[in-house]
Amino acid sequence: MLNQDAYTEAFEALLPTLPDAEREARREQLARFFGSGLPDRSLETFKYSDFTALAATPYRLAEMADAGDLSAWMLADADTRVWVNGHAQTPGAAETTEVEGPTSAPAHDGLAALNAAFARPGLQLHLRRGEQQTRPLHILNVSAPAAAGRMIHLRHRIRLEAGASATVVLHDVGLGDAERWITQTLEIDLADNARLQLVRIQDESPSTHCWFQATARIQRDARIELLPVDFGGALVRNDLRLLLQAPGAECGLHGLFAPAGRSHVDNHTVIEHQSPHGISREFCRGLAWDQAHAVFNGRIVVHPGAQKTDSEQRIANLVIGKGAEINAKPELEIHADDVKCAHGATFGQLDETALFYLRSRGVPEATARSLLTFSFAGDVLRRISWPGLREAVTRRFLQRMGGGLDAAELDTGVQQ
Amino acid sequence: MTTLLEVSNLHATVGDTEILKGLDLSIRAGEVHAVMGPNGAGKSTLSKILAGSEDYVVTAGTIRLDGQDLNDMAPEERAAAGIFLGFQYPVEIPGVSNMVFLKAAFNAQRKQRGEPELDAGEFLAWVRHRVKQMKMDPQMLHRGVNEGFSGGEKKRNEILQMLVLEPKLMVLDETDSGLDIDALKIVAEGINAMRSPQRATLLVTHYQRLLDHVQPDFVHVLAGGRIVKSGGPELARELEEKGYGWLQAA
Repeated sequence: MLNQDAYTEAFEALLPTLPDAEREARREQLARFFGSGLPDRSLETFKYSDFTALAATPYRLAEMADAGDLSAWMLADADTRVWVNGHAQTPGAAETTEVEGPTSAPAHDGLAALNAAFARPGLQLHLRRGEQQTRPLHILNVSAPAAAGRMIHLRHRIRLEAGASATVVLHDVGLGDAERWITQTLEIDLADNARLQLVRIQDESPSTHCWFQATARIQRDARIELLPVDFGGALVRNDLRLLLQAPGAECGLHGLFAPAGRSHVDNHTVIEHQSPHGISREFCRGLAWDQAHAVFNGRIVVHPGAQKTDSEQRIANLVIGKGAEINAKPELEIHADDVKCAHGATFGQLDETALFYLRSRGVPEATARSLLTFSFAGDVLRRISWPGLREAVTRRFLQRMGGGLDAAELDTGVQQ
Repeated sequence: MTTLLEVSNLHATVGDTEILKGLDLSIRAGEVHAVMGPNGAGKSTLSKILAGSEDYVVTAGTIRLDGQDLNDMAPEERAAAGIFLGFQYPVEIPGVSNMVFLKAAFNAQRKQRGEPELDAGEFLAWVRHRVKQMKMDPQMLHRGVNEGFSGGEKKRNEILQMLVLEPKLMVLDETDSGLDIDALKIVAEGINAMRSPQRATLLVTHYQRLLDHVQPDFVHVLAGGRIVKSGGPELARELEEKGYGWLQAA
């Protein structure tokens, strides 16, 4: 049973901090959340991820806290804006408290309503026509050590007008190991010819439950490249929806999920070709250590009339831990006849021939395995075009993998 | 001359199939041997077993390198002991640069032998002139291992690795396949440059072609899992004319 008393109490505490004009709409979202509840396994799209496990916990909104020294998470050559426990730390980072309602059908009504009822403003990026953002924008969302049973809800917005371009990193870092519940939604609008590379790094603590939903609407000849990278969390669900809404719209969705421990990471992606001449590329790599469980569900829909669609989806998985599991499922739904759609999914262990090749040169077996695992993940890592971030993510990946490889050496060794 | 490689009565299986059935082969330092034979004779099996492939089970016999028994040694230990296998089909490892790979292999071998490792600068100097020797673009060092390489480039890269690692015994499995004449000459020059009184070479090949450029001292015919005939360089030419049928029939 959903702990309505606790959510109501948390809501009443939030209410006085909100502008009068918003209060009624927020209250409606709370009622909608209570009506829909949390998703359970009876829903086909949530069959691996049961959020009702969280229902009884009396969550309270996380208080502002001192995150301590964050220098380890900073990236060179970026404009960094910091949120701690859902509270913006950088002056002017979130000018508006206005939280828009969902603009497209959410992955789950209850989760979307929960977020809409409680969310504080996260990144609000609006670039005018032709504006070129020169430095990458680094959004550091820190969950600071706090008492158990805290929740954080954020709502992000990226809007690029015609011809604008930006590189954005949404970087979630969890400190401490108290149980937490975090939801985030991100609405993206790319007008004609806009360009966005968006990297999301989810590096939450092992006791943090997360729901993240991103929806991007992509207009004529605009291009988004979305690179979601998952390292941490307890029960994690990501819903990523890319909507190609006008001719020539293009998207790349290149994900890396690399959970360990008992982490459960469920990625649902949907790419919708709603208009002709769209291009989509989806190359995802999944690895699971220990007893981790990763789910990948990649759906591609080609709508009637979306002729000349060019779509390719490749998913590869590497199960490393003896108790680990990966479920991957491609779904293609094609309602147009003049399209090019390729897809494939592979599961497996490291290539024995490659392993022998490396060892026959004198490379010890453990190092050989590390190099091949890195090569496998590198297919996504090296698509991060910003060198400082690529090296940071590579370093984090190597830390997860173990084996003593050097990130800087590996990264500078290969030309992009 | 001392015996470098001594293979005695080698039997090996893959699954339930016996592929090598009592193979004997003795190679002394300074020599170049060629093992020829029809397809399916066990040539590739022999070279992979020498390098320590775990795809095969050695059921009887011994392999000694410099008097050291290799049977229980892992591929990386054999490499450090001085065996190099040039692959028939070199493997692509995207995203791991040739430089990272070569340095990892080179220093791991040194470490295993108790020799000092080279730092990045020293190693670069070590590699650079060998790249030039193989007439390769130095930029290749910063590309993924064999990533997007043509068949010829891959084979050239095998020889480069051999020049860098300086093994005692060079086992080259069908190194001439997929090479045009210019690439074949460069590869042969690389092999010849490595010939020395301390080293030995084992060329495993189906054709005479490579042997026109790398003169063998001895030629062996492998058929049915055993060496069925041995001779000098003239045997290779005889095989080129007559094929292998007359030997298999025998």
